[in-house]
Amino acid sequence: MDGAFDPSLELRAVRMTRSSGRGRAAAAREVVRGVDLRLVPGKVIALLGPNGAGKTSLLGLASGRYAPSSGRATLEGRELSRWEGGAIARRIAFLPQVERLPYNYSCLELVLLGRAPHVPYLSMPSGRDAAVAAAALARLGLAGFEDRPAGELSGGELQLARIARCLAQEARYLLLDEPTSMLDPANARRVADALKGLAGRGAAAAGGEEGAAEAAGADGGTAPHGVLFATHDVALAAYLADEAVLLREGEVVADGAARDVLVPERLREAFGVAFGPSSIASAFGEV
Amino acid sequence: MIAASVAAALALIGAYLLLGRYPSPGFLSLERLGRDPLALRIVLSLRAPRALAALLLGACLAGAGATFQAIFGNPLVEAGFLGVSQGAAFGAALALVLGVSGSYPVAASAFAFSLLALRVSLWLSKRFHFGGQVLRLVLSGIAVSAFFASALAATKYVADPLSQLPDITFWTMGGLSAVTWAKVAAVAPIAAVSLAAMLALRWRATILSLDDEASRALGARPELERGVLIVAATAGVAAMTALCGIVSWVGLVLPHAGRLLAGPDGRASIPASIGLGAVFVLACDAAARSLFPGELPLGIVTSIAGSALFILLLSRRRAAVLR
Repeated sequence: MDGAFDPSLELRAVRMTRSSGRGRAAAAREVVRGVDLRLVPGKVIALLGPNGAGKTSLLGLASGRYAPSSGRATLEGRELSRWEGGAIARRIAFLPQVERLPYNYSCLELVLLGRAPHVPYLSMPSGRDAAVAAAALARLGLAGFEDRPAGELSGGELQLARIARCLAQEARYLLLDEPTSMLDPANARRVADALKGLAGRGAAAAGGEEGAAEAAGADGGTAPHGVLFATHDVALAAYLADEAVLLREGEVVADGAARDVLVPERLREAFGVAFGPSSIASAFGEV
Repeated sequence: MIAASVAAALALIGAYLLLGRYPSPGFLSLERLGRDPLALRIVLSLRAPRALAALLLGACLAGAGATFQAIFGNPLVEAGFLGVSQGAAFGAALALVLGVSGSYPVAASAFAFSLLALRVSLWLSKRFHFGGQVLRLVLSGIAVSAFFASALAATKYVADPLSQLPDITFWTMGGLSAVTWAKVAAVAPIAAVSLAAMLALRWRATILSLDDEASRALGARPELERGVLIVAATAGVAAMTALCGIVSWVGLVLPHAGRLLAGPDGRASIPASIGLGAVFVLACDAAARSLFPGELPLGIVTSIAGSALFILLLSRRRAAVLR
C-alpha cells in the first residue's frame, strides 16, 4: 500500500449488499459474500457461475461502480472509492453486457468515445485521439471500418468495436460482462481470440498477422491487459482464462488455475447440473 | 462546404433585410437604400433586430433540441419538453390577464415561469420512483407541461374575450413583430451563453447519449452532466421564448435535418442543427411577414414548414430517425 507501486486490481474479502423493495417490504440481500480476487496485466480471469451468482455485482465492485459493504477494493494499492472517475476510466475499461446505441454512429465515432477520460471536459478529441481510436479498431481486426455505421455491423463486429472502444481508453484492466453471450459460436470465437490477443497471448489476436508483433508489447497501448470477464459459458472460460473463480449465490465455490477449477465435480457444485468433459471443451476446440 | 453554407446564410440574411412592403411589396434595391433615409431606417431599426431575433430563436431552439435528443438518447424530445414552452405561455398569459402592461413585464413573467417549470420538472424527476433518470425526466416533463397547459386554459377562460384573449392567443402562436434592438439586447446575452455552452459541450452530449452504465465506465457523470446541459440549453430557449412567444416544431425537426446532413455525432450535428435552425426561422419569418398583407403568426409558419420538412426527411431516407 504505502511505498512500492502495486500494478494490480484487487478485491479482498469484499461483500456487497443490495436492497430491494421499498418501505416495509424493503429487504437487504447480500449478493457478494467475501470474494478475493487479484488481477494483474497479462492475466485472464473468468468469473463463472449461474445466473444470479453475483458475477455482474462483482464486476461492479471491481470497476468502482459500487462500493463494497465490507472488505477492500483497491486499484494500484489505493481504495477504488478514493479514485476520481476519469482516473479510474484511464486504468479500468468496463464493458456492460448490453448497450443500446440510440443513434447510428460510425465505428470511429463509437470507438472515439473511449477517449472520453483522456479529453478535458470542454475540449474535443484531437487528431491523436482519432489515431488511437483507429489503431484500436485495427487491433481488433476492424481496419477500414472507420466510416461504417455501427448499426450495420454484425453482432460479432459490433462487440469487437465495443471492445475497441475499451482499448481506446488505454486502460490496463479490461472488465467484460458476458462478452460473448449474444454471439453465435464463430463470432464468440472471434471475440475470444481478440481478448486472448489483448492479454498478450500468442498470435491468436483478431488482428491476424500483426497480432503477434503487437502482443510483444512495443508501447503502452499494446502492453498486455489484465482481463476479467464474467460468463456462464464454461467452454469460453476454459478456452480463454488462466484462472477461474466459480461463484454460487455470491460465494466462491472454487478458485485457482482454470484447469483445476473447471472440472466436472466443481462445475456441478456451482451450476447444479452434471457436466461431462465434452461440454467444457466444445465450441472452442481443444483447450 | 462550411464556407458555402456561411455564404448562403449571409445571402439569405441580406435578402431578409431587403424583403418587405416598403415602398411596395418585394425587395428594396441597394440604390434606393442609399438615397432613401426612411428605407435605411426600416432596414436598420426594424428588420435588422428582427433578423437577429429570428436567428437567435432558431439557433437556441434547434441547438437545445439537438442537445436534448442526444443526452436523452431519444429523437422525439424537443427544446420545450421539460415544461419550458407551456410554462412560458402560462407566464405570459397570467401577466396579460392581471392587466400588466408593456412587453417587458410580460416577457419577464414568461421567462420566470418557464424556468419555474424547468425547476419543477427537474425536482419531480428526482421524486419519481420509476425507471432511470431519462425516463423520469421525460415523465416529469410531460406532467409539468400538462399542468401548465391546463393552467393556461384556465387563464384563457377567465380572460376578457375582447381585449385579453386575443393577446394571449397571439402570444402562444409566436411572432417577432414587436422586436426592437433594446429587447433583443436584453435576451441576446443569455442566448449567446447558452449557445456557447451547447457548442463547448457538444461531444459530452454524444458521450451522454450512451447508456448511463456505459458513459459512467468512460469516466462521465451522466446525471450531473445531463443536468448541466439541460440548464444551459433551456436558458436560451426560455429567454428567446419570452421575447418571441411559442414557436413550435423547430426544436424537434431541425435536429433531425442536422443529423441527416452532418451525421449523428454531436460534434457535427449540434453545430449543424444550430445553423439550420437559425436559417429556418429566418426564412419562416420572412414568409410570415411578407406572404400576405397582414402578418402571419410565426409559430404557424414554422409548424407548417416544420411538419412538411419532417415528413419529407423521414420518408426520403431510410433510417433517418436512427441517424
